[in-house]
Amino acid sequence: MKLTEDDLYRNSTQFRNWSFTSQQLAAQRLTTNIQATERVKANVARQRAHRAQHVESDSISSGVENGSGANTPNAVASDREVDCLTVDEELKIVDDFCERAIKLGEHCRFPFEVTATCIQYLRRFYLYNSPMTYHVHNISRTVMFLATKVEVHNLKVDEFAAFFTSASVTTESILAPEYMVMQGLRYNLDVRHPFRGLAGGRMEMLECAGGRYEGPGSGDDIQAQMLQLPKKKNGPAANWTVENMENRINNASFFASKTLKEAALLTDAYFLYTPSHIWLAAHLLADEPLTLFYIGLKIPTSSPIYDKLLSTIHSCAKLISSHRLYINATLPKEEKTAREANHQAEIKRLIGKLKMCRDPDKIDLVKLNQAQKRDAMQGDGGLEQGKAKRRKLERESYEKEADAFWGPELPKNG
Amino acid sequence: MSKQPTRANGASTKRLAEDGGASTLSKTLHSLSLQQGPRARSLADPSSDICPVCKSSRYLNPNMKFRVNPECYHKMCESCVDRIFSHGPAPCPIAGCARTLRRNKFREQTFEDLKIEREVDIRKRVMSAMTKQEADFETLRDYNDYLEQVEEITWNLILKVDVELTESRLRRWEEHQKAELNLAPSRREPESLPTDHPTLKKGVVQRKAPSASSGSMLDTSANKDDKDTGFTFRGLKKRVAPPKEAPFDPFDGWEITPQYFVQQDDYEVDWYQTFKKDPAHLVAMWDVRDYASRTLREAFGGFGIFIEDEINARAIPSMNAGIGTEQAAVAAVMDVNMEDVF
Repeated sequence: MKLTEDDLYRNSTQFRNWSFTSQQLAAQRLTTNIQATERVKANVARQRAHRAQHVESDSISSGVENGSGANTPNAVASDREVDCLTVDEELKIVDDFCERAIKLGEHCRFPFEVTATCIQYLRRFYLYNSPMTYHVHNISRTVMFLATKVEVHNLKVDEFAAFFTSASVTTESILAPEYMVMQGLRYNLDVRHPFRGLAGGRMEMLECAGGRYEGPGSGDDIQAQMLQLPKKKNGPAANWTVENMENRINNASFFASKTLKEAALLTDAYFLYTPSHIWLAAHLLADEPLTLFYIGLKIPTSSPIYDKLLSTIHSCAKLISSHRLYINATLPKEEKTAREANHQAEIKRLIGKLKMCRDPDKIDLVKLNQAQKRDAMQGDGGLEQGKAKRRKLERESYEKEADAFWGPELPKNG
Repeated sequence: MSKQPTRANGASTKRLAEDGGASTLSKTLHSLSLQQGPRARSLADPSSDICPVCKSSRYLNPNMKFRVNPECYHKMCESCVDRIFSHGPAPCPIAGCARTLRRNKFREQTFEDLKIEREVDIRKRVMSAMTKQEADFETLRDYNDYLEQVEEITWNLILKVDVELTESRLRRWEEHQKAELNLAPSRREPESLPTDHPTLKKGVVQRKAPSASSGSMLDTSANKDDKDTGFTFRGLKKRVAPPKEAPFDPFDGWEITPQYFVQQDDYEVDWYQTFKKDPAHLVAMWDVRDYASRTLREAFGGFGIFIEDEINARAIPSMNAGIGTEQAAVAAVMDVNMEDVF
């Protein structure tokens, strides 16, 4: 019984649970958005009604209520109709936080895989959840911490929390949504990245250039063909020395890896294409004749899937190259800054809008998490302390009795 | 020993032999139970409490225990056994019995009647040699014939008819069985023996005997084929050695065969060469070829998979599987509405 690389990938959770057609992806985002919108509206209406009742009962002491609700504007406090985010706006917010995750990764000096995994987790999570329900700001920290564990870049929560200067980031706030995030990810923690595949391709291409390729066909023939590759697409055949060709390969994979680490990560490429197609697409963007030559080595042009493969890789390349950051890199500086400023302004507006349409039930994740646990926070710490002391005494006396010959007494019911 | 039950027993055994020996033991026991009277008398008989060798009686020595040797089944008390046989093998002290007995063979009798004791011993011995089962025979008829033959052998031994012949045939049959069971190990023996020679003295002598006999037995069995097996049974299938157990395969027969690449033994790219020499990698039993195979597997994992096609394919024909869209949609609904921890 034989397993090919394709069979191996077919068995991965990324293919089984997290690969979609573009229609499915759009439909899923729409469903999520509709459900979240309904929920936000219902919850806001309920809270408003509750609040109105509350105000009527004691209208005098209206100082601080509803936790953070007094100072910052939120959906419950205002009287206007809730203006929920659309699918596109949600996606823009998630994309923006993915970009911020790259910055966060750089700030924490994490290896790149951590950031990459974190971004894919975020995208997967927000496929089934809306930023209106769980704010990306909170979730992205948790997800980043989760990614450090998955990519075996272990550090403690305290150490991770120390990276943030804001006082609102505590170990509790990082850990609180963790279980929920795991559920949202369906416990599928394996992300197949294209980075290692790119290294493998580069390795083989360098072997080809050196005439040491052991695949089908003779190494020398392949080397000779490779050294005559045109510089540009549809250009005339050129003469390369081995050294120059190696430089060309290295440059191409450098450029491709840059694309993979920015634009490709931030698009839906992981949902729509396999990692193999993604790295080939990035390589195609870097050096088209070289990539086509390499693909030709792997699949003969006469093969029935050759055309289909090329069109898939081209469409993946199109998706990657349509990303804002990829386009920005090609633009002159003035236009780039202008566009970037535009983009930032829009993001700022969207985040302001998000503030007014958040689900009021899900704002304080820490409190919600504690309510789930046995020691639900009772408001003030004194009661908590007394409870802890009583529990400790009980445990100690139980242990003491357990040493007795007949064991401790059975607990009295009632 | 009283004479009454002995005779009765002999009669019953004879009768059983005529019957064809079907479930003899149970019948023998049954006939015993009928003879409650004489047995009770024999219990009361004071002669059973007197050692036939030293004539001391249980009346004087309440702790006295009787022992028998399966060589001749003569009963004597423990102190006599200690006295006579403590210096090695000696002839049986009972008059008329000149068998050589060894002390370590003496044991307490299980059945009060020594005839039964002897019969049970003989049956044990025969059963250990005759281990064929119904599945080993071609027909049920053959199996029944075999059982009858076994019973005949047993009764020959019990009634002391042709004992010598039957014993030698039994032994040959046993050897034949053993040879059939482990043909392979017996061939290896001559090689392993000489290495034992200098270290073991007594052990070698002891070990040599069976190996020599087994060797000669092998020769005879090889030369005369099935002539010298002691017994021949009609319809007995030839023993087929069980198939050799295949070595354990943790991957259950699956193997990864790359479709789009051929992994080379070595790659001359610089980082690959660095990995090969890096002590941090070498120490951990890490094989740099694993790196090559993994990178290339990831490079082409999904090379020939077209997600759109495969998802459409799995959604349309099989509604039962529920993978892909259906499941995702259901899971999504459940997730937002129910599966929420908060």
